[in-house]
Amino acid sequence: MAVAEDIIEKSIDPTVHQMLARARDLGLETVWDRYEKMLPECGFGELGVCCRNCNMGPCRISPFEDQGPQRGICGATADIIVARNLIRMIAAGAAAHSDHGRDLAHTLLLTAEGKGGGYEIKDEAKLAALAAEYGIATENRSKEEIALDLARAVYAEFGKQEGFVQFTRRAPAKRVARWQKMGIDPRGIDREIVEIMHRTHIGVDNDPVNLILQGLKASIADGWGGSMIATEISDVLFGTPAPVRSTANLGVLKKDEVNIVAHGHEPVLSEMILAAASDPDLVAEAKSLGAKGINVVGMCCTGNEIIMRHGIPLAGNFMQQELAVITGAVEAMIVDVQCIMPALGSLCECFHTRFISTSYKAKFPGAVHIQFSEEKALEVAKQIVKVAVENYPRRVADKVFIPEEKTECMVGFSTEAVVKALGGTLDPLLEAIKSGAVRGIAGVVGCNNPKIKHDHGHVALVRELIKNNVLVVTTGCNAIACAKAGLMLPEAADEAGEGLRGVCQALGVPPVLHMGSCVDISRILATCAAVANALGVDISDLPVAGAAPEWMSEKAVSIGAYVVSSGIFTVLGTVPPVLGGPVVTDVLTRGAEDVVGAVFAVETDPVRGAGLMIAHIDKKRAALGL
Amino acid sequence: MDSAQAYVIVGGSAAGMAAAQAIRQRDPAAGITVLSEEADAPYFRPLIPYLVSGRKQAADMMLAGSGPYTGQNIQVWTDARVAAVDCNAQTVTLADGRQLGYGKILFATGSRPFLPPEIRGTDIEGVFALRTLDDARRMAKRAEVTRRAVMLGGGLLNLKAAFALLERGIRVTLVVFSPEVLSQLMDPDDALLIRRALDQAGLEIRTGSAAREIMRDQSGVCAVGLDDGSEIACQMVCIGKGVRPNVDFLAGSGVRTGGGIVADRFTACNQPNTFAAGDVAVTYEPVSGRPIMTALWTNAVEMGRCAGLNMAGVPTVYSGTFGILNATQVADMPFVAMGTVHTRNLDAEIHRHASADAYRKLVFDAEGRRLVGAVLVGDITNAGIYRYLIREKRDITAVKRQIVRHRLHYGHLLAI
Amino acid sequence: MTQPKEIFAITDRCVGCRTCTIACAVAHSASKTLFGAVAETPRPKSRIYVEWAPPAHKIPLVCRHCEDAPCMHACISGAIRRTDDGVVVTDADKCIGCWTCVMVCPYGMIGRDLERHKAYRCDRCPDRDIPACVAACPTGALVYQTVPAYAADVRRHASSEMVKGKGS
Repeated sequence: MAVAEDIIEKSIDPTVHQMLARARDLGLETVWDRYEKMLPECGFGELGVCCRNCNMGPCRISPFEDQGPQRGICGATADIIVARNLIRMIAAGAAAHSDHGRDLAHTLLLTAEGKGGGYEIKDEAKLAALAAEYGIATENRSKEEIALDLARAVYAEFGKQEGFVQFTRRAPAKRVARWQKMGIDPRGIDREIVEIMHRTHIGVDNDPVNLILQGLKASIADGWGGSMIATEISDVLFGTPAPVRSTANLGVLKKDEVNIVAHGHEPVLSEMILAAASDPDLVAEAKSLGAKGINVVGMCCTGNEIIMRHGIPLAGNFMQQELAVITGAVEAMIVDVQCIMPALGSLCECFHTRFISTSYKAKFPGAVHIQFSEEKALEVAKQIVKVAVENYPRRVADKVFIPEEKTECMVGFSTEAVVKALGGTLDPLLEAIKSGAVRGIAGVVGCNNPKIKHDHGHVALVRELIKNNVLVVTTGCNAIACAKAGLMLPEAADEAGEGLRGVCQALGVPPVLHMGSCVDISRILATCAAVANALGVDISDLPVAGAAPEWMSEKAVSIGAYVVSSGIFTVLGTVPPVLGGPVVTDVLTRGAEDVVGAVFAVETDPVRGAGLMIAHIDKKRAALGL
Repeated sequence: MDSAQAYVIVGGSAAGMAAAQAIRQRDPAAGITVLSEEADAPYFRPLIPYLVSGRKQAADMMLAGSGPYTGQNIQVWTDARVAAVDCNAQTVTLADGRQLGYGKILFATGSRPFLPPEIRGTDIEGVFALRTLDDARRMAKRAEVTRRAVMLGGGLLNLKAAFALLERGIRVTLVVFSPEVLSQLMDPDDALLIRRALDQAGLEIRTGSAAREIMRDQSGVCAVGLDDGSEIACQMVCIGKGVRPNVDFLAGSGVRTGGGIVADRFTACNQPNTFAAGDVAVTYEPVSGRPIMTALWTNAVEMGRCAGLNMAGVPTVYSGTFGILNATQVADMPFVAMGTVHTRNLDAEIHRHASADAYRKLVFDAEGRRLVGAVLVGDITNAGIYRYLIREKRDITAVKRQIVRHRLHYGHLLAI
Repeated sequence: MTQPKEIFAITDRCVGCRTCTIACAVAHSASKTLFGAVAETPRPKSRIYVEWAPPAHKIPLVCRHCEDAPCMHACISGAIRRTDDGVVVTDADKCIGCWTCVMVCPYGMIGRDLERHKAYRCDRCPDRDIPACVAACPTGALVYQTVPAYAADVRRHASSEMVKGKGS
């Protein structure tokens, strides 16, 4: 099939080219078409200078001093408005991650109480380790008793009013001291988010720097709180990931099986869908309807969760969710929360695909809602899978087009798995860093965004890093992009510089390590903390850097904020809506160095972005005398 | 005879009146006389189907005072058919014997419907070739006693007449010899959406058929006999088989004709102080440069304005026109066809795109660097920009992608 | 006759917020208010367009009321005329929706009102001192000036930019 040049320019992924050409033939609209129709995007929004926080407005500040208002009706300057808007984005992002963590705590609580409809505690070692962190007695107690105490303890973190969030104390003491000195050591999770909403209300906090500090505080409550709780409790319930091989990209859909795409974020749902899909009765029903079986595949971070724990194939990242439907081969698109496009509803109506929402928090036009319940988890999951199975006969053969491409990958590098791969201690990694074989470590994360050629931002940046002997750890949509690009195979070490290649070959690991979903950036923080503690330094002293080459969501803003707050220099590949506020821009790109020992940089060219990261890593190496 | 007459314009339709207007703008005092053979004062000819449908009255169609036609003191003689022109004496003689001298003269006599001689009975009461306001009046009158009408020819004019009759509740059958309607404006494949809209609107269409004979009873037309031996009973026949230029009055004048009146790039004829414009003039196609004749109001106005400027002493090159340059809407389906659109056996790069409610065909030259033609059906947004690109032969390489996807806007041209 | 004013766009001032398009549609609504306009059927239509061209141009486009307006001469129903103020206007009563004007406008500035089957375009807001789009533009990207006054402004601006450039 000849594909139009403009489609080729939208992505580096051949499945995207094929599916977009297909969409065009069928007259179907995708995120790329809607993006084009949106252009030009509003410059006030791009600069972050519009405010709708009270009804005297809406206000917007003209970026041209000689023309248009320079202050909002309340008197807010561009910097005040930009800072308020930015930290509201952090609040939303932190809320999203943390609510995900809260759902996991809830599931653990129900499971401990014996009310979980099919869940069990799979990782007792992690349960014990977390109990120790929280000072929960373990001796002569059942795992349910311990889990109950742990669930209550982590549950309490959300509503905590005073003190600190326990997991923040995993950070090096110097880091915690710095947070305390700057007044950004979070007292609880919900409290800091709520305080952002209070401070950004009309007539409260109007000091851009003070506002940003609160944003950082809430973001720390996300990264070292809500997100970390989500990760850790998921591991307790579903097992801590260990290296596993699988495949990624739209080619994982099967033309002769019932295809179920599990899309969204929380493993609470997807784990049960997996269990239900192997139910003998449902498999038998699928076969009786002419299918060879039931094929569950993941999409976005749900995909990351189930590929790393079960090796379940991954269909694609954020920009591919519509394309999966356009294959015409998906019986059910099952979603929970976050990053699910409302466009899926009308798109699914063009095919036989059932669009099934499962969370009372997230309903969509055109979706069938089947409320998921932890108490009756397996039962509801079977009900959902049954809908998919029974939908198989409605599939229209003429409308099916599944790209062939899928790529092998090795995933599942939790912090524990990394340590295990190293032989039970971080020392080999520390030695490799000291020797320079591994120049440094980069955490590359984040979304997709039609402003950037799909996956190009991710893959070009990562390739440049490994070529320069920087070990890459990744989560979220970047992880999926790397998996599809073949960078998550031990053989990909051939693309790495000599030093990194040697380390990877010795350990049998890829140069790009899949650490999970977007909440699992907490694993990257924990790994950094472990390395820093082993070296007796702060995280900001380490030769590490972060990047979000194609970021778009509010969660990504919170992530960026907590990564920088943790002392890690971070490169953003799309321009955040802050340039309308010169003070805010300066704080984020320069002033933050004095506050948290790290800053943001914006670089839309991925190779140049990698260059900034490498330069930073070299600077830190020099400071450590390496 | 008033030999002081500076400007005489033969023909009172688009080209003639546009020329008169252009002259008046340059020369507020000159005498301008328009000679029109019709009984009606100049009117917007494309509106006459609305008289048939009853949507407009003749008074709503008058040209004077409407749009750009606001020039004062333009003398219009109606019922004034020119019988002969003497280019040496610079005089014209009317059919009624009157004579008129001219300083400069414009021939804008337009065209008349072509009635194929192989069809017998075209002179029967109830047979029309809709061309003038008077034709429309008579057609409207006949429509009162018409239950079914047969249209011979699938061109745009006949389609518009057909819809005027449909609006009046008359059953209409369109007999088209070509494989598809609008064959002059597009290839059959390009017309699929329009054809579907026509079918849905209730027009009966018989393609690949020709009329042999029109039959009569005491009240006029009663049936049409087709070449397959079948007959369609009807009370009205409308013939739309193209037009022929009105050049007979130039016999013996020395003005060169060849199909139509031959004009140079300044719209001048071969005799001194003579000019030609509109349907009667042979012009040339800007893309290919080959001579063509068109029968379009818009083209006639453009050439007429150009002729008027040349007559008024402002040398103005007529840049020619596309043989095909049509925009309209039939059966709620808007379409535009312009430039080179018949592409069978053409060495060209062609991009087609069809969806449920829109179709487009964009024709580029063989190198793919210049747009030479476009058919837009359903979505005609920004058609004028395409016309500009075709006409100016712009190198479109930088905006080709936008053209192919029909996303082009003027901002793209500013940005390159 | 005093020189008529025209709408000019300073494209490097446009931030692409489309406030002009909203103001235009409201000015051409029955209620003349935003909240009223969004409830009207058919929805009032903007006559100004904000387009995007790569790499990052935001370009406001509006009818230029051309001196030799191709649309006016091409119109087959006499619906388009020029007012004494130099504004090219479409008379909706006379318009038959043939779209010939759409086909000849080289700027693509004539819209099609499909509900009413009429062509529409900028009328420079005859009931207002300043066209709604110009009045609404928050960055001064649209200006309403006579040609000589605008040309003088552009010259003044250019020379002050040059002075600034030297000083830095």
